[in-house]
Amino acid sequence: MKRSLRSWLWRVPIDQEVDEELALHVEMRTRELIARGVDPAAARELALSRLGDIAHLKRTMTDIGRKRDREMRVTVWLDELRDDIKFSLRQLRRSPAFMVVATLTLALGIGANSAIFALVDATLLRPLPYGDPDRLVAIWEHSATVARGYVSPLNMMDWQSRGRSFEMIAGFTPAVGGMVMAGKDGNAETVSRQWVSAGIFDVLGVRPIAGRTFTRDDDVRRANVIVMSEPFWRTRFNSDPGVIGRELRLDGSLWTVVGVLPGNFELLGETSIWAMRPITNLPPRARGAYVLQAVGRLKAGVSIEAAAADLDAVGGVLAREFPQTNKGRGILLQPLHDSLVGRDLRRTSLLFLGVVGFVLLICCANVANLLLARATVRRRELAVRSALGAGRRRIIRQLLTESLVLSLIGGALGAGVGAAILNVAPSIIPHGLLPATVALTFDARVVAFSASAAVLVGVIFGLTPAWKATDFSSADVLVTEGRSIAGSGGKLRALLVVAEVATAVLLLFGAGLLLRTLVAVETFDRGYRAESVLSMLVDPLGSKYPTPESLQQFYDQVEAEVSAVPGVAGVGWADSLPLDFFDAGGISYEIVGDPPVQESQRPTSEYQVVSPSYFPTLDLPILAGRAFDTRDTRGGLEVCIINEAFARSFQGRSPIGKQVALRPTSSPQAKPVIREIVGVARQVKGRPDEVKDFVQVYVPMAQDLADDMFLVVRPKAGRAEALTGSVRAAISRVDTEQLVSVRNVMTLEDIAWAATGRHRFRAVMVISFAALALVLAMVGLVGILAYSVQQHVRDIGVRRALGATTGDVLRLIIANAARVVGAGVAIGLALSAVGGRLIQTMLFGVRPLDLLTCAAVTLLLAIIAALSILGPAWRAARIDPAIALRNS
Amino acid sequence: MLSKTPNALLHGALDALILKTLARGPNHGYAIARFIEETTDEAVLVEEGSLYPALYRLERRGWVDAEWGTSELGRRAKLYRLTDAGRQQLAAETATWRRFSAGVSKVLFSR
Repeated sequence: MKRSLRSWLWRVPIDQEVDEELALHVEMRTRELIARGVDPAAARELALSRLGDIAHLKRTMTDIGRKRDREMRVTVWLDELRDDIKFSLRQLRRSPAFMVVATLTLALGIGANSAIFALVDATLLRPLPYGDPDRLVAIWEHSATVARGYVSPLNMMDWQSRGRSFEMIAGFTPAVGGMVMAGKDGNAETVSRQWVSAGIFDVLGVRPIAGRTFTRDDDVRRANVIVMSEPFWRTRFNSDPGVIGRELRLDGSLWTVVGVLPGNFELLGETSIWAMRPITNLPPRARGAYVLQAVGRLKAGVSIEAAAADLDAVGGVLAREFPQTNKGRGILLQPLHDSLVGRDLRRTSLLFLGVVGFVLLICCANVANLLLARATVRRRELAVRSALGAGRRRIIRQLLTESLVLSLIGGALGAGVGAAILNVAPSIIPHGLLPATVALTFDARVVAFSASAAVLVGVIFGLTPAWKATDFSSADVLVTEGRSIAGSGGKLRALLVVAEVATAVLLLFGAGLLLRTLVAVETFDRGYRAESVLSMLVDPLGSKYPTPESLQQFYDQVEAEVSAVPGVAGVGWADSLPLDFFDAGGISYEIVGDPPVQESQRPTSEYQVVSPSYFPTLDLPILAGRAFDTRDTRGGLEVCIINEAFARSFQGRSPIGKQVALRPTSSPQAKPVIREIVGVARQVKGRPDEVKDFVQVYVPMAQDLADDMFLVVRPKAGRAEALTGSVRAAISRVDTEQLVSVRNVMTLEDIAWAATGRHRFRAVMVISFAALALVLAMVGLVGILAYSVQQHVRDIGVRRALGATTGDVLRLIIANAARVVGAGVAIGLALSAVGGRLIQTMLFGVRPLDLLTCAAVTLLLAIIAALSILGPAWRAARIDPAIALRNS
Repeated sequence: MLSKTPNALLHGALDALILKTLARGPNHGYAIARFIEETTDEAVLVEEGSLYPALYRLERRGWVDAEWGTSELGRRAKLYRLTDAGRQQLAAETATWRRFSAGVSKVLFSR
């Protein structure tokens, strides 16, 4: 403190300090020398020479002195900061209610923001966990009917060999399948498997942690090779390095394990092993098999636009060489990150970010309001300090320190809130919304975000009150005793609350739209009428039932056995389930007799294999023709049932009795299967929010038997999952050797629930935040009303004394509140008109400017606001004129 | 011999002498120089050119403190004063010097 006093009160420029000090030295030395008898003429010279090189000396001293002063300024600054912080904490301790409300408000705002930041960081900001991720590009093919489709392996190889933009292109099949692995003891287990082409790991820049990945040589030799995931290696093989090079029997063939990939590596979807699918020397018909998700690594310095132009040129040449398959097909490039994250997730993240940003603004407004109120109360204290010589800057700095201390406490609590949210987040985020490569973590980046949010917020909400509070001529305040100053501060506070209400209205409106969307997708007509249906995948693992006949027999036996279970009303089989079609457009079709359509232009349809009992079990009506029955056998007339959307392609003609030629979309040149249409089934939804009706064809199970089938069971009454135990018991009565794998046990309601997951997630999140915003806005409203009642006690007292009734007083308060709320609602609804349009793509079954939602939000706000002002109004009504006047 | 003494030691010695001088009470630069000259019987010639930089260094490190006061000539003079930190430093320097000189003496005066 002493040092700072010297430096502030005796401020002498450093040059002068040095000059004076040395001059004094020389002067005194000269006198001493003269006193010792040195010739006065020479004494001064001598004194000077004893100091050596004066210029150099002065430079050295000035230099050290400058550094000293700089450090001293920092020390003083730190001292003041410490004093300010101590003072702030003392002030905050003195008003615990203020501190608790303010820090909790901030903690909620900052906590919500940091959790959402983690989501945005994981999905939008952080690079993919692959080597040099900026150079990775997803490559798609598109045609007249498919906007973004998978690619054919032969096209992919030509892009690689003829294009010049890519270091390498490779692919994988997006869907993860299963392989049956035979164990030593004769037991079999299903292992999840993803097909990849040899180069995929090199393209992604993934290094194996043991062994190697696939090579071109593996591809050329068409070797049966796999790499496995670290978790599978650890749990199934005890991380035994000896497994490398060993052969495993998978689906009956021998496969060599060549390597193990690091634990965090995933493509799309979780899998235990990656098996190589050779792509060299494929037959020419593979040109039309669109089965691979292709990923390319751009050469250094090549832009994605240049690569797109390059591939377009290659695609044009291919279209001329292979018009049958490639005419009318284009190539689409997209940064891999965008492709993995997806537009929907990107939008959802941005939506949440916007919403929590608004919530944080409301928090700021509330705390600023609290601070303004406090500042008004503290004007006297501040005026006194100002009168005692503290500059305005110094006081502002002190008040800012106070708000920063407040916001940092709030930020620390907020980081805790954020961590808690992220802790429970995985259980509320619908499965499949986040790609596997994206991980939500509470890490240093989130902490850094919370900290910077806290500082920013502290400055924003602290600056205005500090500026306002110090805007006085001290004499004024000291004289008026701080009573009559409600004026401008009050207006500012009212404006803040108007802004809060407007923001809350905006968020509520968005929440309302998303809620209506959720209702729309949850109450849509699923097409079938069964209320509750149990489903499970029954997989008779290969070898026990080698022929279609034995397999069909097994399925028939299970059906008979399960039908006999008490409480079962219907049993059926299907190879996929409603709302669970993952791969739209499984087959292409042509109507026999109509003019032929070029291969790339053929319409596509979903293909579902079902048992005759499937329709009655789901209570799915046949609208025309007949259902499948015992006539539709293996080897008999090949038949099918189409859905309403399919029937529309007959353009008014009756489809019954007509024939269609069906081919898998993956092999368009295959010989088609000709089937006769025997019936039209009611439209079933493929996705809850599908915009275009989904085209579907049903084929009898006996005529195209699958290796595994979903068993669907409808109970006579009650909930379907209650039957799970007895149905499984019935299956094992048929499967006496326990060779059948039964998995994916769930109800169709579960599937529907999962299918609407992202809508529910969005609605729940936005509703929660909007509710928080509403509560905060009401806290702000009550705050200004209570404060204005408190400020006007004398005023109201005088009115009462002059004969105003309780009604008059209440009207005053209500008019006050209505002005603020009304302005807020009006502005909020105007903003909503814009906001609704921004989230249009997330809406379904509701227009962005929905009047019902507008009305509901307005009504809700009116009710909540009316409830909120009860307290302040009650207090105002009870003001006793005598007491009010006496106290003032 | 002296020229081979490490610089740090010389600095340390000068610092210690200054601190010791100021332990007797606040004083200005010239008086400090005079006091060291007199008490060492002019044996250790304080390089006057290094005295002031040393004082500024000590002030920067917070071992001494300076105020403007009045000199014997009635002119404004910068008066140096030992701080608490300086007092501790002086004790430490003294102990170091004692160990150092004891060690050197042991060698030089051994038989």
